Amino acid sequence: MSESGIDDERRRFIAFALTPSLIVLFAVAVLPAIYLVVTSLTPFQLTTPGSATDFSDPFRNYALLPGDPRFVNSLAVQAKLSVASVLFQVLLGMLLALLLNVPSRFVEFARTFFLIPMVLPPIVVAVIWKLIYAPDISPLYYAAQALHFTLPALTSSVDFALTSIIIADTWEWLPFTFLMVLAALQTIPDEYSEAALVDGANKLQIFWYVALPFITPILVISGMFRLIDSVKAFPLIFLLTGGGPGTVTEVTNYYAYLLAFDTNEIGYSSAVTVVMLLLVCGISLGLVWMGRRKAALA
Amino acid sequence: MKTASRASSLTRRKLLKASAATAALAAFPAPLIAQTKPFAGVTLHGASFQHRFFTLLQKYIPEFEEKTGMKVDLQLSALPVYNQQANLELSSGGSAYDFVNVTFTLATRWIAAGLLANLDEFTGDANLTPADWNPKDFVDGAQVPYRDAKGATYGYSWEGGAMLMGLSRMDLMEKKGLKIPKTFAELQQVCAEINGTDGVSGMVSWFLHNWNLPPYIQGFGGNIFKKPPGDVMPALNTPEAIQGVEFYANLLKSAPKGVLTYTEDQARQAMLTGRANIFIHSSAWVTPILLSEESKVKDTARVVRSPAGPVHDYPASNSQGLGIPKNAKNQKAAWEFIKWALSPEISMKLVKEHGHSSVCRRSIITSDEYRKLNTVNGQDLGALYLEVLELPGKGENYMAYRTSKEFPIVGDVLNKAFEQVATGQLPAKDAMSAAQDQAIAALRRAGTKL
Repeated sequence: MSESGIDDERRRFIAFALTPSLIVLFAVAVLPAIYLVVTSLTPFQLTTPGSATDFSDPFRNYALLPGDPRFVNSLAVQAKLSVASVLFQVLLGMLLALLLNVPSRFVEFARTFFLIPMVLPPIVVAVIWKLIYAPDISPLYYAAQALHFTLPALTSSVDFALTSIIIADTWEWLPFTFLMVLAALQTIPDEYSEAALVDGANKLQIFWYVALPFITPILVISGMFRLIDSVKAFPLIFLLTGGGPGTVTEVTNYYAYLLAFDTNEIGYSSAVTVVMLLLVCGISLGLVWMGRRKAALA
Repeated sequence: MKTASRASSLTRRKLLKASAATAALAAFPAPLIAQTKPFAGVTLHGASFQHRFFTLLQKYIPEFEEKTGMKVDLQLSALPVYNQQANLELSSGGSAYDFVNVTFTLATRWIAAGLLANLDEFTGDANLTPADWNPKDFVDGAQVPYRDAKGATYGYSWEGGAMLMGLSRMDLMEKKGLKIPKTFAELQQVCAEINGTDGVSGMVSWFLHNWNLPPYIQGFGGNIFKKPPGDVMPALNTPEAIQGVEFYANLLKSAPKGVLTYTEDQARQAMLTGRANIFIHSSAWVTPILLSEESKVKDTARVVRSPAGPVHDYPASNSQGLGIPKNAKNQKAAWEFIKWALSPEISMKLVKEHGHSSVCRRSIITSDEYRKLNTVNGQDLGALYLEVLELPGKGENYMAYRTSKEFPIVGDVLNKAFEQVATGQLPAKDAMSAAQDQAIAALRRAGTKL
């Protein structure tokens, strides 16, 4: 058999093996996404017969979005939440990884503890933080009281509600950036820092000139992952604040949830979700492009 | 060959079986068998949200199945999940369910959209409904949401909720010379004076403001819509509505820290432990201060009518009903189930054997057995419950705002506006003006003609 014959056979086998997975992927990921876009072009309301197939004014929902103050506010809240939580998670994750990047049995044992928040179901994380933030039963409030310090009601305070979500989100996802950075740190050859030490560099200089260039791509990648994931802080918002007080913590996906599940505006909710999806895709592509450009320049 | 084979297939055993069957048929004629198990072979599919009523009812369902010959498949889900499922199923014209819970807040919308069967056709037929089932026995106020404009009935209520006021620390109030508040002004005064005494908050509430707040708005003479259900133009920026919002936000200044995100359970717990003095909510959440074993305030607690406003005395109330979808496959079997589940016998069983008191049959609520079980420290809780539950059925149906299909949208806007006022983000006038604009825009977006 000729070489090209073997290649063809291999190609056919790969196509044959991949087909079931592609069909499943199409059914569970692509079809619902297509349906979401289709629904966003209708005024679909659960109790209005025929509204699911009314395409008479397909861009009506999209035209209404810029004039909807709650939608605009939800984007701003999402931006604040995403930027702050990603910054915290990347910086604290890096700091923790630097501190725990030492060959010690105790540290290895301690590292596993940091993984606990990440492996807990998100709703359990939300319940834990609900208890921590509940003024009448929380150990946090008892401790503050013992120290003669008065804490405000964190989840229902205009000034602290969003911060309380950011803290809980950071606690939950810090292990992810920590693990990523730790893995990157462990790939740095010892010779580099040893050479730097011989040249008289201090620890800060070793970090700045040796470690940081190595871990920068990982920091960018983990930041990007967390940025995309940060739009999914839904369980925390659902359980801790309900989007309040007022609309202080109402992010876009929570607003979409209210529209679909509380007020039955399925079509409009779909349009909100599509816009959110496009924004997330845009940000991701932008970050990938920036990463490639940086790599090309280097 | 054929004859031989036929002869050989007629065995002695088959002959005996045939004779036994003939004898049985002679003893019990066919019509009688049908009467004994009228729905043999039918599997009845029903759905509701999870509630103690159904958990208790499930214990008796085998008896019903035995009696009728049908199988009952009852699906229970969390309230929001159920509402979505049922909404989708009914509005898409599906026939998956034979009976459903007609959720109070969705009743008007389902009835107006013609998604439910007219139950008068069943109650009006003496062959289907015996006279002693008595549809008029259901408390009128609880039945109002399940009737259309012409008065036809689309659901019968299995659960009632009547807003009452619970006071946990009458001892503290008496020490300060305070009486049970009967007006809004007295309520404000009692809450302010008790707050902080002995570590007790003046009042407690929970996060669903569009349930707690409207009685204050209505108490000052306002409403959520101009004149529901006919005129559903939002009325959130009226002076009365603004006054109601300001009043309730002021009341919550004497509530525990974080009350805006309190769940019903948290609020109830604050009352049971005597950490908060007043809770105004549905009877099922308030009466545990007298009835629950957990209660630490049984001796000092009272449950009374909630205070009246300067213009109206409109305590909120609701009910949940059972109905039959228009496209249900087994409507007669479904009616048989509803008739049984809401019969005086089963209702009384639930009261006597399980202490389930939120039934909607007047004959049960006014019975001696019910009264005996629900009179605590000389307080007749049943009478209070019945009084409040009946109110919307007498004169103006002031709860019509709640069952208007526009309410979920306006209620959500109202919640947000109230939180802005309660947390000082906006003055009440500005928040409610913005809420009015948002409510109108959202209703128009949803296709409501205003």
